[in-house]
Amino acid sequence: MSSWGYVFLAYGIVWSTLLLYLFSLKRRFRRAQREVAQLSSAEELQKHAQK
Amino acid sequence: MQATVPKNRKGYLGALALILVIVGLYWGLIHAPPDAYQGNAQRIMYLHIPSILTAYLSFFLVFVGSCLYLWKREKRDDILAHSAAEIGVLFTALTIVEGSIWGKPTWGVWWTWDARLTLTAILLLIFVGYLMLRSLIEEESRAASAAAILGIIGFLDIPLIHMSVYWWRTLHQPPSILRPDKAPWDNIHPAMLTALAINFVAFILLYFYLLSLRFRLGEMTEEIKTRRMDRGR
Repeated sequence: MSSWGYVFLAYGIVWSTLLLYLFSLKRRFRRAQREVAQLSSAEELQKHAQK
Repeated sequence: MQATVPKNRKGYLGALALILVIVGLYWGLIHAPPDAYQGNAQRIMYLHIPSILTAYLSFFLVFVGSCLYLWKREKRDDILAHSAAEIGVLFTALTIVEGSIWGKPTWGVWWTWDARLTLTAILLLIFVGYLMLRSLIEEESRAASAAAILGIIGFLDIPLIHMSVYWWRTLHQPPSILRPDKAPWDNIHPAMLTALAINFVAFILLYFYLLSLRFRLGEMTEEIKTRRMDRGR
């Protein structure tokens, strides 16, 4: 492999791994946001039912 | 619980990190000259050095968060330590991979049991253990305390990694930047030093962007657990 080959291999692995981590973090983040919203609406419903 | 970094500020941080990453890529791959001895393979250093410095910063935050958690028992500090440990593991793993890819054309081997390399692998194993420990102990406060102790012990490996090139005869060269006898600009070509500085700032900004997301995720996970428990009562 040429020296540029090693350079592109390293840059490719680093940036694709960081992008994958960022996307997985965003996915987990959105899932948690949805869950918080669901809990809030369930709590609202419960409050209305108690009234 | 409130997010520590407001959403729009988080967006600015992410955008700024992206701009600097692009500038860093241009500077590191195109603008900076190849090294006189290592040729183009030296360009891997524009990732390798910022990665390990970011990992050190991350484990320093694990250390701070762990000490504060053991002292004050506040969940926020534990979330900070946990978030920083997860991202620190990622940057340490990347450092080892980059070093290995650089080592093949420069040293002729992908890996060698050099003191600095071995201690960095130990650092990675300690913090992978830290993350596993958290998932293995069911009782949350016990898991957080045990992880905090391991986080503090794990951080102590970093001074050993830094000093290893002075204390032992190793294949890994001594530091080019953090050395007591010479300023970085006396030691490195200005274009190379600029490429390194831009990439370092880009990594730090990206790190704080990832940390703010991961920290907020930790806060939300905690909020979900608490609210579910309250509903169950």
